[in-house]
Amino acid sequence: MSERILTELAESFGKLFMVGLKVSIPLTLAAFSTGLMIAFLVALVQITKIPVLKQLMRIYVWIIRGTPMIVQLFVVYFGLPNIGIRFSSFVSAWIVMSLSVGAYCSETVRAAIQSVPIGQLEACYCDGLSFWQAMIHVIVPQALRTAFPPLSNSIIGLVKDTSLAYNVALVEILATAQRIASRTYDYFWLYLEAGLIYLIFCSVLTVVQRKTEAWLERRR
Amino acid sequence: MYTLLNVNKKFGDNVVLKNVSLDVNQGDVVAILGPSGSGKTTLLRCAGYLTKADSGTLIMDDQQYDMKKISSRALRNYRRKVGFVFQTFNLYGNKTALGNVTLGLRVSQKMPKEQAEAIGKELLERVGLADRMDYYPSKLSGGQQQRVAIARALATNPEVVLFDEPTSALDPELTGEVLTVIKQLADEGRTMIVVTHEMEFARKVATRVVFMEDGEIVEENTAKEFFENPQKERTKEFIYKSTTWASVNQKDEEAAEALPQGE
Ligand SMILES: Nc1ncnc2c1ncn2[C@@H]1O[C@H](COP(=O)(O)OP(=O)(O)OP(=O)(O)O)[C@@H](O)[C@H]1O
Ligand SMILES: [Mg+2]
Repeated sequence: MSERILTELAESFGKLFMVGLKVSIPLTLAAFSTGLMIAFLVALVQITKIPVLKQLMRIYVWIIRGTPMIVQLFVVYFGLPNIGIRFSSFVSAWIVMSLSVGAYCSETVRAAIQSVPIGQLEACYCDGLSFWQAMIHVIVPQALRTAFPPLSNSIIGLVKDTSLAYNVALVEILATAQRIASRTYDYFWLYLEAGLIYLIFCSVLTVVQRKTEAWLERRR
Repeated sequence: MYTLLNVNKKFGDNVVLKNVSLDVNQGDVVAILGPSGSGKTTLLRCAGYLTKADSGTLIMDDQQYDMKKISSRALRNYRRKVGFVFQTFNLYGNKTALGNVTLGLRVSQKMPKEQAEAIGKELLERVGLADRMDYYPSKLSGGQQQRVAIARALATNPEVVLFDEPTSALDPELTGEVLTVIKQLADEGRTMIVVTHEMEFARKVATRVVFMEDGEIVEENTAKEFFENPQKERTKEFIYKSTTWASVNQKDEEAAEALPQGE
């Protein structure tokens, strides 16, 4: 490795890292929080067995799980404009990834909610709480604790999935590496570096996950 | 003062409650006895609006509540006046003992934190758990959990407290501490309806005993009369069986021992 490459990599490291902080991580967080809300709603519909809605949710989960995310991205970003609906790269990626999290995590969330004994919900009712108050104060906090390990695995998966948005012209980590490399032709080193950036972000998340799990464990 | 009127309930084709009526006076401790499957839990759950009755009326403080259909406002008002204690405690796993007692006050009654905690602390002291306020349920014994649950049911200072077999899920050596607390409430004049299999408890603490079978109240009397002078053949048989069974059963013996020694 020549000195030139070293200087180049040192320079690009900062760029890639900043793009990660400014684009990939916000996209991950936005998609994950929206997706979690969707997952929660889907789970509640399944648990309360609301007739028509329940079938619709099934179909939604079936479609999202049965098609590649990159195809979904293409449909939203390149396809929807044909019928007059236009979203930016970021928003397209946000929509698709949220829907994906919603579908994949709904089962996890459903199982976690149902793992809280139904008697606690009844106790809430006797305490004068409404269904939603019971959810917010008693059921969901415990469900999230149960669902925390699988959910944090999906958030880590999501960080890596943001690289797919490269294909819909989002200037994220991979696209930035690609741009630099197309000037210098050091594809090997720059793509390795892009990988390293993902590795760093995912490792940080793994550490946070472990710390949080230990903290949650102490609070019960 | 608290009346259940003509309660009916079916589960599919299974008729579980057949026009059950029960009248409870201020300060009464009503023990509901009866064989398994006779509908005791269902009656209590209907009274707590946890199971919808097919028909029936609750009367309390000159207020009538339809047991089949109730507005959420009327229900909130009713629930403030009625406490419920479950066989399986059902404490909130994400709240400390104190948090369990105060949640209803804070969320449903919108009571300020300090005020709710003052009430919670006082109640936990009364059930002998002053030193366990900050413990999560998983760190408490069954008996302690049930005492927290009793404190929680008392948070709104309800006019009636309903208990569904409060000691059945407990190890024999832990039933005494819970029964002692319930006895203490009885001595304070708290109106209670207690579904129980603890004959000694019914004999010593209840003012009245109701015997249920097949969804009907078969016999109803003062506790003394009920045990000393049962009217129906079925009741005699039940008392005979339960007491002979109890004499060879450590669980009831210990409960009986624990009672007179209550603080
Ligand atoms: N949710 C339910 N769905 C269908 N049947 C039920 C349900 N709950 C209770 N039952 C039936 O209703 C009848 C009365 O049950 P209940 O639990 O009220 O009896 P119990 O007197 O409390 O008995 P135990 O002493 O065993 O607690 C039983 O035949 C039971 O199978
Ligand atoms: Mg029962």
